[in-house]
Amino acid sequence: MTTIAFPTLISRPTSYTGLWSWIGTVDHKRIGTLYGVTAFLYFLVGGVEALILRAQLAQAESDLISPELFNELFTMHGTTMVFLVVMPMSAAFFNWMIPLMIGARDVAFPRLNAFSYWTFLFGSIFLNLSFFLGGAPDAGWFGYANLTGNTYSPGDGVTFWALGLTTLGVASLAAAFNFVVTILNMRAPGMGLMKMPVFVWMSLVTSILIALAMPIIAVALIQLALDRVWDTNFFNPAAGGDPVLWQHLFWLFGHPEVYILILPAMGIVSETLPVFSKKPLFGYPAVVLAGAIIGFMGWFVWSHHMFTVGLGPAANAAFAVSTMLIAVPTGVKIFNWIATTWGGKLQLNTSMLFSLGFIAMFIIGGLSGVSHASPPTDAQQQDTYYIVAHFHYVLFGGAIFGLFAGGYYWWPKMTGKKLGEALGQWHFWVMLVGFNLTFGPMHWLGLNGMPRRIATYADGMGWEMSNAIASAGSMLIAFGVLLFIINIIRTISSTQESEDDPWDARTLEWSIPSPPPAYNFARIPQVKSLDDFWYTKHPDLLHDERGEEIEVGEPVENDTHGGGSIHLPGMSYYPFITSLGVTIGVAGFMDILVEVPGTNIQFPWLSAVGIVIGLWGLMGWTFEPVSEEGGH
Amino acid sequence: MAQAAVTQNQHGHIADTNTGISNRKLLMWVFLASDCLFFGSFIATYLVYRNESLVGPYPNEVLNIPVTSVSTFVLLMSSLAMVLALNYAQKDRAGLARFWLLAVAALGLVFLGFQVVEFMTFVDEGLTIHQNLFGTTFFILTGFHGLHVFVGVLWLLGMAFAHFKGALTSRSTEDLEMAGLYWHFVDIVWIVIFTVIYLIGFSDGEGIETISHATAIIGG
Amino acid sequence: MNLRRLLRPLRSRFLFLIPVAPALLVACNKEDAQSTFGTSGPIANTQADLFIFIFWIAVAVFVLVEGALIYSIVKFRRRGSDDSLPDQTHGNNKLEVIWTIIPVLILIAIAVPTVKIIYDQDGWPTDQGPVLEVKVRAHQWWWEIEYPGEDVVTANEIRIPVGQWVNFSMHSDDVIHSFWVPKLAGKMDIVPGDVRELAMKADEAGFYFGQCAEFCGEAHAKMRFRVKAEEPAAFQDWLASMRRPPVELASTDAIDGQKIFATNCATCHSVNTWQAPAARNERTRLAGLRETFLLDQDLADEDRVNLIAAPNLTHFATRETLGAGLIDLTQENLEQWIADPDAVKEGNRMKDLAAPYRDGTLTPGDVRQLAAYLLELEPVAAGTATVTPGPDTPLKRGEATFAANCSGCHSTGDDIVFGPGLAGISNRGEEAYIRESIEDPGAFVVPDFSNAMPGNFGTLFSIEEIDELIVYLKSL
Repeated sequence: MTTIAFPTLISRPTSYTGLWSWIGTVDHKRIGTLYGVTAFLYFLVGGVEALILRAQLAQAESDLISPELFNELFTMHGTTMVFLVVMPMSAAFFNWMIPLMIGARDVAFPRLNAFSYWTFLFGSIFLNLSFFLGGAPDAGWFGYANLTGNTYSPGDGVTFWALGLTTLGVASLAAAFNFVVTILNMRAPGMGLMKMPVFVWMSLVTSILIALAMPIIAVALIQLALDRVWDTNFFNPAAGGDPVLWQHLFWLFGHPEVYILILPAMGIVSETLPVFSKKPLFGYPAVVLAGAIIGFMGWFVWSHHMFTVGLGPAANAAFAVSTMLIAVPTGVKIFNWIATTWGGKLQLNTSMLFSLGFIAMFIIGGLSGVSHASPPTDAQQQDTYYIVAHFHYVLFGGAIFGLFAGGYYWWPKMTGKKLGEALGQWHFWVMLVGFNLTFGPMHWLGLNGMPRRIATYADGMGWEMSNAIASAGSMLIAFGVLLFIINIIRTISSTQESEDDPWDARTLEWSIPSPPPAYNFARIPQVKSLDDFWYTKHPDLLHDERGEEIEVGEPVENDTHGGGSIHLPGMSYYPFITSLGVTIGVAGFMDILVEVPGTNIQFPWLSAVGIVIGLWGLMGWTFEPVSEEGGH
Repeated sequence: MAQAAVTQNQHGHIADTNTGISNRKLLMWVFLASDCLFFGSFIATYLVYRNESLVGPYPNEVLNIPVTSVSTFVLLMSSLAMVLALNYAQKDRAGLARFWLLAVAALGLVFLGFQVVEFMTFVDEGLTIHQNLFGTTFFILTGFHGLHVFVGVLWLLGMAFAHFKGALTSRSTEDLEMAGLYWHFVDIVWIVIFTVIYLIGFSDGEGIETISHATAIIGG
Repeated sequence: MNLRRLLRPLRSRFLFLIPVAPALLVACNKEDAQSTFGTSGPIANTQADLFIFIFWIAVAVFVLVEGALIYSIVKFRRRGSDDSLPDQTHGNNKLEVIWTIIPVLILIAIAVPTVKIIYDQDGWPTDQGPVLEVKVRAHQWWWEIEYPGEDVVTANEIRIPVGQWVNFSMHSDDVIHSFWVPKLAGKMDIVPGDVRELAMKADEAGFYFGQCAEFCGEAHAKMRFRVKAEEPAAFQDWLASMRRPPVELASTDAIDGQKIFATNCATCHSVNTWQAPAARNERTRLAGLRETFLLDQDLADEDRVNLIAAPNLTHFATRETLGAGLIDLTQENLEQWIADPDAVKEGNRMKDLAAPYRDGTLTPGDVRQLAAYLLELEPVAAGTATVTPGPDTPLKRGEATFAANCSGCHSTGDDIVFGPGLAGISNRGEEAYIRESIEDPGAFVVPDFSNAMPGNFGTLFSIEEIDELIVYLKSL
């Protein structure tokens, strides 16, 4: 392939166990595990942040923590839950399941995949280092200009935020590119787009949204970082800059981002509901189309986050109508999910309960959403706890419940063991009650005039009782998470193995051993229809209600001995090194510039170090053969 | 990076994918789609802040249309050279392909040279990234474009020296195709930037209202 | 079917209603100070009505959809170890069409009143008498209030007449804030570098609570304010009183306090805007604060000096709250505030920047005397002092500027001299439109007029002069 030898300096990892094997891994399953574990740890971090916030707000006039710390915590809570929990947890499932569900041996670019994870990890660590290096960002997860300028946010917190999120953006983009190519190009023979599992469809829509939305926030963050470090004028009103530009850029990204967070969970329940109802997904084409339409229309509603900015009646009216329209495809999904359960034989295990809880809570979030799609009512609700209640019903009752449903559903696939069912049921009910206790009263708080993001509130406003209930509920949520952790520990230490296909499931990932071998499929499956695997198990169902025959592909044989000629990409340290270079390169833009002698150019020397490391990684990456000769 | 396509199917055909487009090329297309939004956001920022600077220098005081037209022409010619390089690579004429590849890189460097001179001239005339909104948006937008050109030049040079020594492989031709996609994209982006900043906005300046008055009075 | 067996699962399925129930019980009390119900003005009333309308539609949808879901869960749950497969249905196009169209119809029912109200609430009705202009300048973390037609300046407590439309023209000198008085109207953000307008009317007298609703930094939670709506006569009395001098100080504490105030506080806090021209003096003083502070060696390099601004304290004792609507104005609270402002409102900059705090020279006695002084800052009773005759208001000065510079081309009626007549110009667009039309005449040109207006007014006039001109134009 290459004609010159490149001094790679380090030899590639060879052992498949131990720490170095994880650092050098390019296996999508191991990378998925890394994503999942990291995201869960950040879930605990973001959760503890939330618990402190709720403790502070449990009673009026509380001074448990300073307003400064409060502002840091709510900023980091939002940033963490969005960028370090829901997105990477979705990425964990993308990594694990997309290749398995489409019958592929890995993603299109395994080393790029490793690069995505390490960049995410380093970026997230860099972001959280701010807590120890002079103060975390404290301008909100939405970072509205010009509060984020040097004048109003002295210190390095906001710079950490801007550069940390830029790094995370690189990671998300690389992952999104990878999944788009994987899904479009690497499906098993016969798996047309309309024969893909809905989860894969939603992953595709999500990845396209990331690929198109992330550059916008990257530009906004770069402009912010430049304003702070190089004194440019992007958001400086004194020079004519317009803080509202930030809001447009942020929400032009931010609204697709909402769908980036929720579509994977919608994909998950679209898998679990049919499996545990023992029926096909009702209206598969409608669910897929609705998901795609949501992804498309998500681009035309961003200004509904800005109804009180004063954009004028024409803009408000237009965005009100487009926002209401997007409720239609969302409703279509919900109706199809309910219709999927209708007439089924529902197996109410933990995964199914979380899926049904997802629908129930998402309906509430959707309905409260319609009430602030209307600018006149939103004028009262915007920036109050009503909004906090709304998006927690969508993103916690929605996205997080959906991810838990996926966790319980795929756990046996990933580990070969089922999570405990009894503890699981407790986990669900404690979580559901705690969730509603915490966020239900917030609707009333908002309508009762309590603004968001206030570190404390006066006595006698009528907010005391609801806040106390919300804080108590948050403890219950924490208890639910504790039950989940206990469940995980008990499951890991148990010796009880699961069957390969414990749920009598419908999609290809269940056609191979659990956990899957490194190469996934000994033979690449042939696909003839949607839910092909299900029909190979139930040949008696090979006709649909119109009496037409459903075709199935050749049954997949799990012949591990047939895998002798499978070539897998070799492990590599270079993605790790490149990620390190990228992160240092971006982080080097912090306030540690040195002036180039004789000029007034501020030179980011640490960035230069990062670039050198990154280039080394990239060259090693380019010139390292994909796999050793006759590799495994 | 195409290993997956190779390992994926038993026949080792690079293009044997569901779409018929190789993984690497599809990756490049998705990246370019994404990059459109990146430049789109910077260009939108430039347009939002057009005529919003509170102090000079204004575009009509510093922009040099003839000089930038020359550098634009140079960049356009580099795209032509890229087409020729790919053409010869596909005809298996490694020497000529390599020559034109180096020509692309050289023309790219000339373009960057123009840009450096332009930046230095502007700074001499008092336009910096701190000075006003025009300075901020101009330098950052064209700077990021220049950065793209620079990365492209490094890529082309790397390719010219790494591949193309012996006979061409289908893989190195595909490398060239991908670089070509990138290069043409960067070129097209420049045409948009050139139109927005230089052709449409060349007369933007402090006296703009006075000019429109005069036109209005004379015309009316 | 055995009813009890059907209900058994329901018992646990409906468990989640238990937490919701108390939430419903502690629900909205209309009387709560910032409740968005129990409103008292046409804007907030309409917003509340629209919400209730949407709410009941949502309740109906909620009951139907969640009901269908719960019914399905209960009815179709797997019983025992029944391993047989149910009917395999794949979909139904008729159903898809139905559940697409029904939501569309529901949303149209919501969208129509929504759009109508958006346009209704833009500006104020022109057939309900003159509008009172009030200028709001938001600062971290307090509110500067000006009545441009009256040349009255105050802070944090806004008085308005009952039954008259009030238009708030809002600026920010630092970051984005949001002006929100839930009982009177939904919020409007205030963006630096721009003007935002929000009109509202109070139907009943009352002391309405307001609060900044856009996160604006450390003390955001404590950026509150009050709107006191009173009968028009009382409101006029108050305006007049704000132009009268203060009463003579009675207690010795107050007299000593006045001296302490003069040397330590008066640089930032004015107590003199009963004298005309109040607004101009106040703006000049606030604009000059930064330069004043930069003269201080200790602070010369400090970024925070850029943020300095302090509320006007003229006739302070007539206010009811302290610290931007934070606590009641009492001797005890005031002393606590002066002694340690950070303890009351962490983040405020007084302790950081004011010399007596930096030097630690403020004694408890000083605090007591300062409080005594501030609590005696009241206007003399009507008739006991010469009322500043016919105040030199921004309106009057704007009129003079107009007469000298503009009346050659513009009439104040509907007739055309050379440029368009300017009667009712405030109905043609927001303040920003008028401002831009003066500073940059080419920006909006009235159809059938060519733009022949000189383009240099933006530099010819001072900022104050343009402000005054706008006040005058809006009165036409």
